[in-house]
Amino acid sequence: MIKVNGLCHSYNKDGKYAVKDVSFEVAEGEVFGFLGPSGAGKSTTQNILTGLLQLQEGQVTVAGYDAKHIKNEMFNQIGMSFEQSNVYSKMTAKENLEFYRKLFDVETRDPQELLDLVGLGDKGNILTGEFSKGMKHRLTFARSMINNPKLWFLDEPTTGLDPSIAADIKDIIRLENNKGVTVFLTTHNMYIADELCDRVAFIVDGDIKLIDSPKNLKLQYGDKLVEVEYIKEGETVLESLSTIDIKDKKHLMNIIEHYDIQTMHTKEATLEEIFIKVTGRGLI
Amino acid sequence: MKLWYSFLKELKLSSKSFYFYVEVVMAAIIILVLLVFIPEQITIIQKEYINLDMPDNVKASFIDTILEEELDGKAEEVELEYGDTVIMADLYEVDDSEIYIIENREDMIGLTKVDRPMIGAYLTFDESKGEILYEYYLQGYESDRLKNLYRIIHNEDLTEMAAIAETVEVKALNSGYNTLNSREIALPSLLTFNGSLMGMFIIAAYIFLDKQEGIIMAYAVTASKVWEYLMSKVLVMTSVTLITTLAITLAVRGTKANYLMLVVLLITSSFFGSSLGLWISSFYDNMTKAFAAIYTAVMLFMLPAIAYFIPGWEPFWMKFIPTYYTIQGFKEIIIGNGDMNFVALASLGFLVAGTLFFFASNYRFKKTLTT
Repeated sequence: MIKVNGLCHSYNKDGKYAVKDVSFEVAEGEVFGFLGPSGAGKSTTQNILTGLLQLQEGQVTVAGYDAKHIKNEMFNQIGMSFEQSNVYSKMTAKENLEFYRKLFDVETRDPQELLDLVGLGDKGNILTGEFSKGMKHRLTFARSMINNPKLWFLDEPTTGLDPSIAADIKDIIRLENNKGVTVFLTTHNMYIADELCDRVAFIVDGDIKLIDSPKNLKLQYGDKLVEVEYIKEGETVLESLSTIDIKDKKHLMNIIEHYDIQTMHTKEATLEEIFIKVTGRGLI
Repeated sequence: MKLWYSFLKELKLSSKSFYFYVEVVMAAIIILVLLVFIPEQITIIQKEYINLDMPDNVKASFIDTILEEELDGKAEEVELEYGDTVIMADLYEVDDSEIYIIENREDMIGLTKVDRPMIGAYLTFDESKGEILYEYYLQGYESDRLKNLYRIIHNEDLTEMAAIAETVEVKALNSGYNTLNSREIALPSLLTFNGSLMGMFIIAAYIFLDKQEGIIMAYAVTASKVWEYLMSKVLVMTSVTLITTLAITLAVRGTKANYLMLVVLLITSSFFGSSLGLWISSFYDNMTKAFAAIYTAVMLFMLPAIAYFIPGWEPFWMKFIPTYYTIQGFKEIIIGNGDMNFVALASLGFLVAGTLFFFASNYRFKKTLTT
């Protein structure tokens, strides 16, 4: 669905690259996470893919269209949810969606259905200028689905949302992905990436450091330990045991068979820990 | 269809915006000023400072001639000052002039320098020829026509000229040419300001407002084209201009204007002004930076309005400023039976120039709209 090869971009065309020699591919139906701290080049890459920035160097194909010569019909295939909400504040939520649905040449979704989906069903006739930041964000998210996109760009889709709404948004993303929609997720939130992405790319200083699935990364970079908490002779005991060492494995089996287990966790590394390990940089 | 929907949306948004009310209030102010504060006929009284350096009998005869037209039939002694100097002078008020007879030549020159009257003159009498010699003190900005007129009336025999003039047959090509009163004469420049010039400012403000709110980014990832976005704004500007300008013209001129051609010139000149505003805006990323350039353009475009009210000041380069043709065009339209070929030609010019600027804006905005 997306093919990027040797992508470079310099804002001032002075040899200082915001993105340098970036290459990756996103398969149809995949959820691809583009992860990195602020200023890493995530937005620059995404803006080139969505035609908001002109392609300077490299070959980029998006939904079968060459990004060097973007055709308007490409936008019938893609949806874009921005990190910063950008809706007409002097129009109601429904008017916003009604207007945008007329700008596409493909079958569009019912604005009310989308508003219901993001929990704004009863707010359709309110001017968006009166919306909270979170409500505007949800409306921006809903708008990105108006044209039934085959390729869906999501820029920090859960930022600023309370946990229950964020959970709903993640459910919607999963639902759309299950229908076959390809998702390009740009975020610095490793938890959402971990939950949703089939593969992730770590980008730092305009350079992709690594691309792999979260599971593989955890296997490769995580510690293979189990932390077990159990009751022994009336006292709580906490032990970390290797899942590779034969002796530790036997000891773990013994604990399971003979003691009352309170808690037991595999000590796999989080994506954030792996990111720091791989790039030497934090995510903020 | 996307253009139509964008236009409807822009119309709806602009009706809720501050800038829409700026245009409406401006139109209301123009109507109020024209109908309430500007009389239908304005008499412009010109000042003349004259120093008579001639024998008493000639001087008396000259003053008698002035007195024949004096409204009260007598002179009034008045106090005049320039710089620190205060002098007394005789004032004679005739139909459209205030004639001050100044006793001293230096005072006459001093007053002429400071007060910039229509005429400052030093008159002497050549006894050998028995005629009055005129020495005019001009300001330097007078038109060649006026200077030539002074040369002719003092170097040719006026009696002979009058006789020749009587033998010249004058045929009016259009005897039914309407005239405008003072109120209506003010309309063309005000309509130009309200239409194309306001449009330049406001369309730039709309673009930068959209940029600031990030709305352009959302629009840019739809299957709509940049030119449709820009044209929807131009159409809104044109619509608002049409409504406000027609209201002003109807209020001041009634049904006597040529409304068909008014609509044609309004649409084309507004299209030109908006496209130029778009083009200038495309070089900047916010209103603050664009303001200086747009303001300079507006000031330049206001110059023909000044020339319009000062018939003696109309330099050749004025004809290179587009608003010269807007003002002249509106004048022909308001007269009602004016030169509509001129209006049609001017409209065509604005359409062509507006199209060029619109294409240039579209080209530039494709690259810069979302940055």
